[in-house]
Amino acid sequence: MTASTVGFISIMAFFALLLLRVPIAYALALVGFLGFSYLTSPSAAFKMVTKEIFSIFSSYSLSVIAMFVWMGFLSFYSGMGARLYIFAYRLIGHRPGGLAIATQAACGAFGAICGSNTATAATIGAIALPEMRKYKYDPSLATASVAAGGVLGVLIPPSVIFIIYGTATEQSVGKLFLAGILPGILLMLLYMAAIYIVVSRNPALGPAGPRATWRERMEALRGGLGEIFIVFSISMGGLFAGWFTPTEAGAVGAAGVLGVALLKRRLSWEGFSKSLLDTTRTTAMIMLLIAGAMIFGRLMAISRIPFEVAGWAGLLPLPPYAVMAVILLIYLLLGCFIDALALVLLTIPIFYPVVVNTLGYDPVWFGVIIVMTVAMGVITPPVGMNVYIIKGVAPDIPLEVIYKGIWPFLFALIMCLGILVAFPGIATFLPDIVVGR
Amino acid sequence: MNRLNGLAAGLGRIMDRIAGLCLVAIMILVVTNVLFRALFKRPVLGTYDYVTLSTAVMISLALAYCAVQNGHIAVGFVVDRLPKRRQAAVDTAVNLAAVAFWGLCSWQMAAYAGSMASRGVVAATSQIPLYPFIYLVAFGLAALCLVLLVRAVESAMRAAGGK
Repeated sequence: MTASTVGFISIMAFFALLLLRVPIAYALALVGFLGFSYLTSPSAAFKMVTKEIFSIFSSYSLSVIAMFVWMGFLSFYSGMGARLYIFAYRLIGHRPGGLAIATQAACGAFGAICGSNTATAATIGAIALPEMRKYKYDPSLATASVAAGGVLGVLIPPSVIFIIYGTATEQSVGKLFLAGILPGILLMLLYMAAIYIVVSRNPALGPAGPRATWRERMEALRGGLGEIFIVFSISMGGLFAGWFTPTEAGAVGAAGVLGVALLKRRLSWEGFSKSLLDTTRTTAMIMLLIAGAMIFGRLMAISRIPFEVAGWAGLLPLPPYAVMAVILLIYLLLGCFIDALALVLLTIPIFYPVVVNTLGYDPVWFGVIIVMTVAMGVITPPVGMNVYIIKGVAPDIPLEVIYKGIWPFLFALIMCLGILVAFPGIATFLPDIVVGR
Repeated sequence: MNRLNGLAAGLGRIMDRIAGLCLVAIMILVVTNVLFRALFKRPVLGTYDYVTLSTAVMISLALAYCAVQNGHIAVGFVVDRLPKRRQAAVDTAVNLAAVAFWGLCSWQMAAYAGSMASRGVVAATSQIPLYPFIYLVAFGLAALCLVLLVRAVESAMRAAGGK
């Protein structure tokens, strides 16, 4: 058997294991190990596996993940997400669809202190869903708006997927974070427009809530947005200005949220303890996934599949944008079945060289495109991670009802992706002026 | 069986608490380093090593409890449609395979630690020996195996029609 045949069989074996409900991290590591043993020797494969696991677990550039994950959970348990939502809905909740639009604003703002789309969906969902149900919002619109809004959490920095993409491709995490800001804001506005259009056509979907006085609005503003702005400015500002490494930005951000929560007496011992528990669990899951993907990536490298795919894509009689479209389509299809993080890790060794070296696209721009494309997978059937999360928050609403409401948001995502492909500057403008080329 | 389950979950929980302490320690260390660098122009020497090694400790100790809480993500939409006993049979096979694989990895990790100890490999700036941390990763993987083994026994009992 040639090396690339072994690589191809391994990819098939990986998918077969996934269907047997094997955790993705285990499947990647096991298949990577077996394929590598076949092509080299079992002892070489064991050496590779042990070295990869230890080097991932003790990686400085990945230690940042724990910090940003913790920052998100601290914000959740200290009620920062709730206060953000209250401010947004006092501002626009009295308009038709206003609570769903406020949800997008809250997700966007919470994204500035949280790096994960599931955590953003869970945090805002826990607060926004009961409110929307109280005012008789259509369950499809209400649940789908939170599931889709979670995507803003990974586009707007900090972002765990950008950290992993940056580490795997040796791109600056600071640049990637900057690149996510404008597309994140654009997507938030498109989501809001989608809600506005849907509710204008059928006002019964999102009835107007009560109007808040300006005094109530100002009170809500003092309660949440200001604190998030300060923590974001210090942590991300320090990173963008080049004072901090990403790990330092994460630690300073977590310390900032913890400090604010303790000063305002908003974090109980129980909340603090739960934030630690959730963070260690999430980080262990992510790091084992990365270790698995790295082991699988080593197999891919010696199987020469990435080189063959790159060579094949280079020979295709198609313009670069058509090849790019095919790649995005593959991401979309795989994204329906595989978790966003795992998909990025799994495919970067294969597609990154094609897109950046063969087709000549900007690596930072591609990072943003990838994050948006895999984000579609987290809200589409059959495996939509965010939809599952929302189902957990509102167990009485069937999955089909949530998926039914996703359409306008999926359309907004596709439109945002189209705009980014047509105008790459939206992603590359900020990193170019702040960090330089 | 219940006692074995309790032992695995209890051990996992204790390890996870220590992992939580590591997280707090890393944050305090990194912030202290930033402050010292900014205010006194004197960074804490060896921060890089302490952060990387404590992260390794944190992750290793959290692996098992993550599995106790079903934290390692899997895709269930095919197996979920099978009858309950079939599902249990699939889970038994999957968990046993996982125990075998991670068990071998844990053993090899310990061997790797042994070789690092005999070669006297230390971290670059702090000169801390690396091998105890690698042993800890091996221990973390072994604890993960214990949790998965308990899972395998439980699902085997369900597959056989027990409780």
